[in-house]
Amino acid sequence: MIWHIAKRELYDNLNSLRFALATILLLGLMLNNAIVHLREHPVRVQKYLISITAARNALMARANSLYELAQKGPGKLYKKPSSLHFCAEGGDTFLSRTVEAKHGFWENGNLKSFWRMTYPAAMPNLTNIRPDVTKVDWAFIIGSVLSLIALLFTFDSVAGERERGTLRLMLSNSIPRYTVLTGKFLGALVSLSIPFGLAVLVNLLVFSMSSAIDISIDAWGRLGIIFFVAILYTCLFLALGLLVSARAQQSAVSLVILLLTWGTFVVFMPNLLPSIASGFSFPMSTDELQVRDDDINDKLWEEYFHQIGASKLGDMQAGSKYVTKDAAAQQWLIEERLNQQINQVQGARSITRISPAVILQYLIESFSGTGFERHLQFLENARRYAREYRKFVVDTDRGDSASLHLIGVRGAMSQNPVLPESIPIFEDTLSLTRDFNDAAIDFLLLMLFLMVLLFGAYLAFLRVEV
Amino acid sequence: MLIPLIRRELLDNLMTFRFSAAVFITLLLVVTTTAVLIADYERRLERYNTSIETYRRGLRKWQTYSPGMGRLYVARQPNPLSLFNAGLDKRIGNKILVSPWFVPSLWDAEMDSLDNSFLNIFSSIDIVFIFEVVMSLFALIFAYDALVGERERGTLRLVLTHPVRRGYILLAKYISAMLCLMVPLLMSLLLAVILLATSTSISLSTEDFIRIGGIILSSLAYLSLFYLIGLLISSVTRRTSTALMLAMFVWGFLVLVYPNMIFATNVPQDTAGALASSAFNQIKQIYEQFDSARENFLANDTVPGEAPTFDMESPSGWTSGDGFIENQFTLLYYYWSVISYQDFYDSALPKVPYVQNYHGFLGPRMIDAAEQSWLVRKQALENIFVRPAVIGRMLLSLSPVGGYDAATQAWAGTGLEGIQDFFDAARQYRQAVIAYLYDKEAFASRLWFAADKSKVDWDTLPQFSFERRDISRNANRALPALFFLLMINLFLFIVISLIFVKSEV
Repeated sequence: MIWHIAKRELYDNLNSLRFALATILLLGLMLNNAIVHLREHPVRVQKYLISITAARNALMARANSLYELAQKGPGKLYKKPSSLHFCAEGGDTFLSRTVEAKHGFWENGNLKSFWRMTYPAAMPNLTNIRPDVTKVDWAFIIGSVLSLIALLFTFDSVAGERERGTLRLMLSNSIPRYTVLTGKFLGALVSLSIPFGLAVLVNLLVFSMSSAIDISIDAWGRLGIIFFVAILYTCLFLALGLLVSARAQQSAVSLVILLLTWGTFVVFMPNLLPSIASGFSFPMSTDELQVRDDDINDKLWEEYFHQIGASKLGDMQAGSKYVTKDAAAQQWLIEERLNQQINQVQGARSITRISPAVILQYLIESFSGTGFERHLQFLENARRYAREYRKFVVDTDRGDSASLHLIGVRGAMSQNPVLPESIPIFEDTLSLTRDFNDAAIDFLLLMLFLMVLLFGAYLAFLRVEV
Repeated sequence: MLIPLIRRELLDNLMTFRFSAAVFITLLLVVTTTAVLIADYERRLERYNTSIETYRRGLRKWQTYSPGMGRLYVARQPNPLSLFNAGLDKRIGNKILVSPWFVPSLWDAEMDSLDNSFLNIFSSIDIVFIFEVVMSLFALIFAYDALVGERERGTLRLVLTHPVRRGYILLAKYISAMLCLMVPLLMSLLLAVILLATSTSISLSTEDFIRIGGIILSSLAYLSLFYLIGLLISSVTRRTSTALMLAMFVWGFLVLVYPNMIFATNVPQDTAGALASSAFNQIKQIYEQFDSARENFLANDTVPGEAPTFDMESPSGWTSGDGFIENQFTLLYYYWSVISYQDFYDSALPKVPYVQNYHGFLGPRMIDAAEQSWLVRKQALENIFVRPAVIGRMLLSLSPVGGYDAATQAWAGTGLEGIQDFFDAARQYRQAVIAYLYDKEAFASRLWFAADKSKVDWDTLPQFSFERRDISRNANRALPALFFLLMINLFLFIVISLIFVKSEV
């Protein structure tokens, strides 16, 4: 019986104006998305490859001296661009593409400032005077456009039938009400999946025909998950539409309520909530960082100054201690500030999860390997690499018996040239298991929203008076 | 005849659910947003005030002219009307170095004390954005059944049996709906202004109120445009449900899709292109000439030692340096030179007149090179950055949202032109500082680099001040977009009345 009702709904929809308009709109958007990605992605990959080659060459050029390697550090590390960038742009322009090993400028006799990992900010807006618009990515198409279309497909499904009187006719048959509701739901879902699936197919067809874009097996799997999430999200809005439609007396009223709900959750909450939420905590400011930086310098320098003068070896030992301590303390300060900043953003992000559109955005971001979580993963990779690199320097130095093993003093470290192949090389990787962990909460939240709304729609429909 | 018709329509509109929903939602959104934005603005204003103080102290630490020229910063004040339309106000840098070394432009400004750059991933919001989305939706909801609904119910036939001209009916519908739509618009703006007035840190001048008036005018034109689009749909369709569906898709296309699609297809700026590199080479050539003149001057010297200090020694140390700074991305290339002494050893004293001579030669050359390269750079920046932005803005203006955005930005003074005004002022200030330096004969003076005899009195330096341009300029800039909106309005109205007059009931 469900299928009868679903089929009836489907035929109703297929012949309607909204079906045609939705198909055109979604197709247009997906084509646009594909064309832009085709144009931009090869450039992005090219840029990444050039940068990592340059960084690698710069690192290899230092291989003849272990001291140089230890003092200057591994240079610039680059974030690998995701091949699924078209799914979610994820604010990637505002997240830095690099982390950089930098050293301070002080130099004192044979001592030089050692490297620490710094996290430069990306400031694309500083010189950008073009008007600000959202990128047309999958997250936008699904989050904003598809959800709106889902509401337009369901706002009159109960209220409209009641107005026309067909609801009474249908319920006079001996069909349980939940069957009617499920049938309507499935009908709307199928009739919405057709234009969306078509648009997605066209989009992917463009990519698979082009030689410039290479989507791996893993990425196809991710695309499948994203498609599934999109359908789940659409169900959410269909359920909302059914719920309101069952409660409202007229379809016009139902539409107004739905549009307002949509506007609040999809348009305003993602824009308004972060500004409120980010006001709760204040990370260390640039000025404060500067002050604490200077404090550390002064304190360590004084300590060092009191220790030197006894013997040449003692001086070297104190120098080594000073240099390594300075680098470690500065690194700690930088990490502390970074963590405060990340916590502020995480706080803002968790509050915005009230909006299902934002949850969808985060889900698509984590599965397409863009956005903030991905950036954190990149930072984590860079940190792990930094540890590995430091360990490499110490181990290499230990391997040379002629060395005094005092890291930080040029004369007291191994003087042998380092094998270029033995230097660890940074490679940014994306791990799928971590994505699943990140996405689990978002996924459960989305499910929760869906359950509540479906249950609400069911109750509302049970109590509909015909 | 018109008055009773309007009264009837008004009553029809006012007693509906959609009207109360419109009022409630708009008020709620505008008030919350304004409260959030005011807090944000106050934070920015506080930072501005501390920055000014920091820059002042930073400059006064030096007692000679030369290092002061690398420390003379001006700060850009946040615009209180950015609450209405943020435009570029928060995006463009607000810390500008004013120095004889180079002519500052929008691309050389820094963002002062930006504490968490990650927060940029969240998009921000302003009052105009709310109107763009919500009010346009309401305008369409008010309009979609205005004609087709009456036709379906048969009341249109009834009205037309009276000796009323059809144009009057249309006009009455238009006027009454606009009156209804003005209620939430004006009420929410009034509340926003009241909130603004209660905040102590924001003081709005009379001119600002007129600018807000301009924003209201643009909002009305925008609203009316969407109402007319709805009316057009209503006049060509046969059924209410079709009209509604069409109206919603048109809204989705005009508000959500079109603006974003334009930019996706608009080719991004290419600064590594031929245009940029040729301009950059030209600028470099200017500085090569400058450098060879400098080398020439140094070749003829009899004093041992390297420029700019000529190895003068001092018991309390010194600050010095010189060199070239380049940024290929923003086409910035300049020569800088700093030298500062507190005192000298006696052995260095004979060199002082020569060093004075050198810097007296160098200063004006540096300024000349900066002015010359600015002529090239200005043109190139215009071609590389400004033109694509203007073209993008024009394409965007073809949608009502873009036109409305452009008009309100022009009124608020947060658009590109408004921001450029500030940089013009900064450049004028630079001229004033240079004139002051020439006037004091600072370059060739001992005070340029040595504070052993006397100290620079920074209080006599001209002060920087920036006033936003007067309203006529705002109006002038807003006019094209506003005019465009009004033109479409008129065009739509004529089309609708033609269709309506010809249509059968």
